[in-house]
Amino acid sequence: MIDFGFWLPVALGGLLSGGSSGLLGVYVVGMRIPFLAVCVAHAALAGAIFGALAGLAAEHLTLPALTAAILTALALGRVADRSPAGDANVALGVLFSLSMGLAFLGLGLFPVLGRSDHDVRALLWGSLALCRWRDVGYMAVVAVALGLFVLLFGKELRALLFSREYAAAAGVRVGLVWALFLVLAAIALTVNFQTVGGLMIYSLVTNPAVAAALLVRGHARVIFVSVGLGAGVSLGGFLVAALTDLPTGATIVLLSSAWVGAAALWQRRRVRCRAS
Amino acid sequence: MSAPLTASNVRITAGDRTLLSIDRLTVENGTLVGVLGPNGAGKTTLLRASLGLRPVQAGRIELLGADITRCGPAERARLRCRVGYVPQALVGHGLLPLTLREVVAIGCTGRAGLFRPLVAADWRSVDAWLERFGLTPYRDELYAHLSGGEQRRALLAAALVGNPELLLLDEPAAHLDLAAREQIVTLLSELHVERGLTTVLVCHELEVLPAACERVVLLAEGRIIADGLPATVLSGERVAALYGPGLRAVHAGGRHAVVPAVLAEAAPP
Repeated sequence: MIDFGFWLPVALGGLLSGGSSGLLGVYVVGMRIPFLAVCVAHAALAGAIFGALAGLAAEHLTLPALTAAILTALALGRVADRSPAGDANVALGVLFSLSMGLAFLGLGLFPVLGRSDHDVRALLWGSLALCRWRDVGYMAVVAVALGLFVLLFGKELRALLFSREYAAAAGVRVGLVWALFLVLAAIALTVNFQTVGGLMIYSLVTNPAVAAALLVRGHARVIFVSVGLGAGVSLGGFLVAALTDLPTGATIVLLSSAWVGAAALWQRRRVRCRAS
Repeated sequence: MSAPLTASNVRITAGDRTLLSIDRLTVENGTLVGVLGPNGAGKTTLLRASLGLRPVQAGRIELLGADITRCGPAERARLRCRVGYVPQALVGHGLLPLTLREVVAIGCTGRAGLFRPLVAADWRSVDAWLERFGLTPYRDELYAHLSGGEQRRALLAAALVGNPELLLLDEPAAHLDLAAREQIVTLLSELHVERGLTTVLVCHELEVLPAACERVVLLAEGRIIADGLPATVLSGERVAALYGPGLRAVHAGGRHAVVPAVLAEAAPP
């Protein structure tokens, strides 16, 4: 007998997390900054660790995590186009190593200060099975905010996808839209990361968007397919895991990876068919 | 009407190197000005600085009546909406989901303004430019999957779709075969005749200068070394000094070319 009271928020959490990550992924993959998810997730972790060290209770660690994630995202926006290589990935590499260093320093301070690091270690991996209605509420707010952002700034985001400098030259308010995107991405990644964990959020941001870009063409179509795949693999992975007793996170990650493989094969076949 | 583009006492440096040092440059309304020079002469830097994409260390650049070096972000964006720009190269990557039509539509994105989607009239304008440049059959293809020539024409269409008052072109025919290059030159000529659009055309090859180009600015090491009629600026001595003693400039019918000296001497007068 399935306990719906327990599993319904888990399923809905997976659906919302997958859908919003799929939407975010269209831009993260399109701008070739998939490392953003890892970088921001680890900055959020560092924030949560120092929040815990400062004595905050587990239920209040979201605030320092969000603060650290947003600051990191804004720092990326500030330095991305000014880094020596003029490449956001270089800035991400620097910020990632900094946030990792801070996170491990913080973790090392727990035994020194004689404190338990149980709350923050749970954050490191996350667990979809522990998703409760309050988490679902946060995820829903983030998903709606992301959707509204794309609806309002869709044409500017499309220009940013192509090239930030070209978009700026065409008179698009790149600074404003890029900063808003990074802040929203930081919030979305932090909220989802706390429930589903760093590895799963990385795969949910990257894989559905890559598969969508291989399957269809055009901004709007890629968004629909990526959101659908993100939500689908989350829910599908959860159901497979529930039926087979396999770990939920790993099942979802593998399912999303399988979609990328299938999409790549399909695209290859399409190219061959066109050529012949 | 004031000159659409004026640069005064502009200095741009990178480390110890001076990239651009221009005392005075004015592009008059309705003219087509060619900017030439060897690699590292500062041609691209001049265009990027004119759009406020490259910070200047000193001087002022007046773009359509406003000093772009001192504008805030909103004012700068408004000015850029009135300019059509074709950058050197934008090839796109394999996972870029944008179609050719969507890329051309970027040209009218800024002008549409925030919180306002592109309307049917904008898309009609996009389609009209695609048709004009012979790109309609590829409009739903991925931009990244197009050939270099098609991509260059798409960027030119994007630059024109916003109905600009000034066109800044950075090597619009770079890496194109002869047929594609001539197609671009013909298009530029037609546009200039039709619309009298003020155009700054940066190029390496003299062959890219359309017959409508009546003025050439020659840059070397960031400085203007000559400015005037193409045939005067691109004299035999200057071409030999800039590009090597074995080369000669040939001028005929308003078009120009640099050829090996042996060919220039063998050609009938």
